[in-house]
Amino acid sequence: MNFCPGCGASLETEASFVQEFWSGADRNFLCWCAACDLLSTVVLPAMIVSHEPEH
Amino acid sequence: MLSAEKNRRLTQVGPGTPMGELLRRYWWPVATHDMATRVPVKRRLLGEDLVLYRDGNGTVGLLAEQCPHRRAALWLGCTEQEGLRCGYHGWRFDESGQCLEQPGEPAESTFKDRIRATAYPVQELGGLVFAYLGPAPAPELPRYDLFVWEDAWRDIGHAELPCNFVQIMENSVDPYHVEWLHGRYGSFLRELDGRGGPLPVVTKKHVKVAFEVFEHGILKRRVLEGHTEEDEDWKVGHPLVFPHMLRVGAAGLATFQIRVPIDDENTWHVWYQTYRPEGGAPPQESVPVYEVPLRDEKGEYLRDYVDGQDIVAWITQGRVSDRTQEHLGKSDLGVILLRKLYAEQMDRVASGLDPLCTYREPHDVIDLPMEKDKFGSAVEFRQLWTRESSIRYSPIKDEIFELFGDPVPAWVS
Repeated sequence: MNFCPGCGASLETEASFVQEFWSGADRNFLCWCAACDLLSTVVLPAMIVSHEPEH
Repeated sequence: MLSAEKNRRLTQVGPGTPMGELLRRYWWPVATHDMATRVPVKRRLLGEDLVLYRDGNGTVGLLAEQCPHRRAALWLGCTEQEGLRCGYHGWRFDESGQCLEQPGEPAESTFKDRIRATAYPVQELGGLVFAYLGPAPAPELPRYDLFVWEDAWRDIGHAELPCNFVQIMENSVDPYHVEWLHGRYGSFLRELDGRGGPLPVVTKKHVKVAFEVFEHGILKRRVLEGHTEEDEDWKVGHPLVFPHMLRVGAAGLATFQIRVPIDDENTWHVWYQTYRPEGGAPPQESVPVYEVPLRDEKGEYLRDYVDGQDIVAWITQGRVSDRTQEHLGKSDLGVILLRKLYAEQMDRVASGLDPLCTYREPHDVIDLPMEKDKFGSAVEFRQLWTRESSIRYSPIKDEIFELFGDPVPAWVS
């Protein structure tokens, strides 16, 4: 993760924090932006599962 | 994984490093009360070599190890009525570092007035000697409840562990390890030793865990199999006290596990126990201090008890755990939250702000939350903890059993 999903500031600064973790097949990144203080999780999902409408 | 650069930032504690600057905003236990005597002793804290002493007036001082004269170690010295005299040429210093005397210099010389040893403020509380290595003005020494209760017994176990302090702290926000390291692995060792069936309490499975950043650090909650959100493990929980302690226990038995960074690769671990049965404990003359052994007579790491299992898990992660090689999952969210909290607080210090758990106002006591009925039952937890933690090495272990009067559990073999 190179940029904050909230403010767009670089997450590659010394102060900001990015930590990878896995949830099943989904690759997650917990991101804390030192510029705007936003704590977020960015998910790179293995697949997107949607609902199936009734038919 | 964590990048190598972020791992260094998280684990380096020396002067001038971001974590070192954060940690220098706190008071640290540098010794137990029995170490501060007329005999000066070497201590090491946050990568700095120090000398601790108590002079003839009873004043405790903490100076940098090297004498500012010709750099000999000041533990090679004699305590005088006032201050510490270097053993090499007799220069004498008070607890502020001011040079009081230079015997070899001309009597009329004012040279001593311009010489100071590096000195750090110290305070004694609850049987520990605390030091502050950061910029002035020092904050208040936090008077956490266990340090100041007047109606409790105490004992203090300690050991030097060959690993970085962060991997020890991470264990405190990793609830799942309890059911595996102490539950399954601990029971496996009991099977091998023929010591009976699995231990109670620590074998219970986790259903749900939660972590909440609050005024004292991170509050940890759990729901175990067969329990509900109405149980105290969830309703109350217990804290990781930022940046360096775990508070753990059950009714009447409360412990601080204090992780003191000696340097990047070594940690002084202090098990600070309090025993406070309902109605209080009778007066205690002095606080017993004991060393917690790491190895048995064959040189093998002791791991047939809960704290020993933790110690070996921490040490075998390496001197500094290589977090570029790890693979974290959802069960590691507490660990991730702690790392984020360190990163955030390092940034506060870099911005000139006080970090979390800095106290600027005098206070009587800081009460911390902790469940009374832990893992379902205070008595069962006390029965376990007084036998399967470092308390097994306490010189007052038998008196502690008597103090609580809990029955001997059936699983004791």
